[in-house]
Amino acid sequence: MVASILRLRLTITIHQLRREWWRILVLIGAAVWTLSLLPSVAYAALDLSFRAPDVRMDAYTAIVAVLVVGWMTVPILIAGLDDSLDPARFASLGVPAKRIMPGLTVSAFLTIPVLFFFTTLIVFSTSWLPDGGEVFAVALAGAMLTLATIVLSARVSVMWTARLLQSRRSREAAFLSGIVGVFLIAPLASILIADGLETILEYDARPILESLRLTPVAAPVGAAGAASMGDWGGVLWRLAISTAWVVMLWLVWRINVAHVLVHPTARGGGARARDDSVLATVVRFERRWAKTWQRLHRTRGEPSHAAVAVWARAVRYWFSDPRYLATILSVAVFPILFFFLVYPAFVESRRDDLVAIIVGVPILLAGTIGWGRHNDVAYDSTALWLDVSSGRLGRAIMWGRTTAVLVWAIPMVAVGIVASIAVSGRPDLAPGVIGACAGVLGTSLGVSAVTSVVLPYRAPAPGENPFSAQLGSVGASLFAQAISSGVSWIVAAPVVLPLVAALLWNPLWGWVGLVTGIGTGALALIVGIRWAGSLYDRRSGRLVGAVA
Amino acid sequence: MSTPEVALSLQGLCKSFGETVAVDGLHLDVPIGAMYGIVGPNGAGKTTTLSMATGLLTPDAGTVLVYGVDLWAEPERAKPLLGVLPEGLRTFDRLTGAELISYSGLLRGMEASTVEARRDDLIAALDLQDYSRTLVTDYSAGMLKKVSLACSLVHAPKILVLDEPFEAVDPVSAGAIRRILSTFAGSGGTVIMSSHVMALVEKLCDHVAIVGGGQVLAFGTLDEVRAGKDLEDRFVSLVGDVGEYRDLAWLHQS
Repeated sequence: MVASILRLRLTITIHQLRREWWRILVLIGAAVWTLSLLPSVAYAALDLSFRAPDVRMDAYTAIVAVLVVGWMTVPILIAGLDDSLDPARFASLGVPAKRIMPGLTVSAFLTIPVLFFFTTLIVFSTSWLPDGGEVFAVALAGAMLTLATIVLSARVSVMWTARLLQSRRSREAAFLSGIVGVFLIAPLASILIADGLETILEYDARPILESLRLTPVAAPVGAAGAASMGDWGGVLWRLAISTAWVVMLWLVWRINVAHVLVHPTARGGGARARDDSVLATVVRFERRWAKTWQRLHRTRGEPSHAAVAVWARAVRYWFSDPRYLATILSVAVFPILFFFLVYPAFVESRRDDLVAIIVGVPILLAGTIGWGRHNDVAYDSTALWLDVSSGRLGRAIMWGRTTAVLVWAIPMVAVGIVASIAVSGRPDLAPGVIGACAGVLGTSLGVSAVTSVVLPYRAPAPGENPFSAQLGSVGASLFAQAISSGVSWIVAAPVVLPLVAALLWNPLWGWVGLVTGIGTGALALIVGIRWAGSLYDRRSGRLVGAVA
Repeated sequence: MSTPEVALSLQGLCKSFGETVAVDGLHLDVPIGAMYGIVGPNGAGKTTTLSMATGLLTPDAGTVLVYGVDLWAEPERAKPLLGVLPEGLRTFDRLTGAELISYSGLLRGMEASTVEARRDDLIAALDLQDYSRTLVTDYSAGMLKKVSLACSLVHAPKILVLDEPFEAVDPVSAGAIRRILSTFAGSGGTVIMSSHVMALVEKLCDHVAIVGGGQVLAFGTLDEVRAGKDLEDRFVSLVGDVGEYRDLAWLHQS
């Protein structure tokens, strides 16, 4: 079974590469890039080998903590990075979890990132060589346990999050508990940071790292340290709890796999009756806006019902499809954490040089929202045949779907702006920040509208795990992501300049930024949508195939 | 150019995916008012052909004329004449059945009041009342087929292109669909449908084309194609039988 699952994975990858040869280039590029990182890892390990064991331990504890947090959050925050075999695909084969787990485990470890960290951790272990061969052996064992911990943590975190987002009730529970969690962290952080950031780093960091080493997560690092002091009892119990932790993570993963195998399809939230809100929205729109629309366009004709219908449909998706909800969630996580964690620190230390960072948060949020839509069309999956076969509707479709994002993006960015102004205590910067946010949101959404038509890559289909990439599509997604983010940066950068001027010289520049930001944002959005619309029409015969 | 009697004309359609040739210079003229059945073995290129005929897949070569209008040159004139029911593609499953029908009508640029009336007619005619307010994601395969058919009918097209319209549909609903299609064709509408079920094509269609290897092997009225034989026999003789009747001895129960 292990061999057949590995062969399956290999076969899928090879077929994918044969179909789209340029993925090989992406793969080679990624490999070269990771290899080029190894010398600096070796240098760091060499440097640490000359330090005292406790300094070494602190450094490695911090690295392990970052690795674990990174492996658990990155696949969730950046949708489409998780290229592992989705166990739900085995559901129809009727194999029990017991039999596919070995294969899934081995294939989870045979990925390029895992191989990179495998090498890195081994290189780091060599810095214990000066303390003797037996210490190095312990460090090596610890490194393998750390590797197992990060890989299995990633699996568990992805599967749990996906499972949480599946049913409506648990989704709401997840949102609520997330918010409650943040509220609990905030006072804790404010107590911690009350002494100021420097004092924490000077006096509190070491005890924190030390207590981290008492947990199973960083215990392997402590084991190497204990070995260097000849405390073999300490080595034993540290390796033991760490092993127990790895086994427990594996069992939790297995329970999740078993669950997925017998709960294959994610359905909507039960058979709740709804009224026809698509038609109602169009009727409401007509009643309220048709006159204005006719005046604006100097016509007696009807506004496009298609655009409003697409808008209504897209809004429904934003608030009912787990894949879209996961997007909103992952966009919101960063600013929420930032404000609740930084706010207390800022109030205590009153450092003016943080103002630029704080007002940058809503701008970054706006950019993330806009850039995140660079694969919007593919999220419709093959359902877009309905849009394509209904006529030459590119513009109406892009209007509807892009403006539907604004329904949640504008309130979210507005909250971000208010929070950042409140935290920084600089109301004089408000116009500049508003302008920059509007400009960045508009331009990045405009760019995304175009790339979503030109470079669509396979997105998780409705009902699939919102965080999983389609097997083998990681290369394509990285390519499209690199292009869209590069273009977004170039187009959006000038919009922020007046705010920079307001920060550096005179807050009055902010008013210039307000006008130019809103102007540029609106213009870029309109141009982007219109261009994307005509591209949509030209490429309509290829779109269904590109996302299928 | 095509004569006015031809509703849909496929001229020299070609499509390859990599090295696989799916459709290889396919010609077919569908007369107005016909119930045209397209039959063929798995992988014959039926779905690819119908996708190219409805604007979902760009052909490598060839033309599609809808009432004489070039579909790929003037989609805004040709597409309104077509009603499409593709096979194996998803729909917007987070809408309710009623919303999905309204959505298709509104995309076609229809008046809101007309959409509302036709939506209710279609829901009644296809027996979807009990589920019209349920999300499509909770539908069974047969109900999904019915609501997709309703979507393809809502703008009163001149030509219906249906890929496997009766798959997974129960006999009662199949009867309702047959009645709708017969009335439609009787009033001058044209139906093109693909199917694997020969009996169904013989019962329902007046014209038939047998497709194999990406080309039309035989076409014409049902009697012309049958040539005095059973449609199934004619089909097997044209596309060839399975290579070998191998006995699956290990499958025998005793």
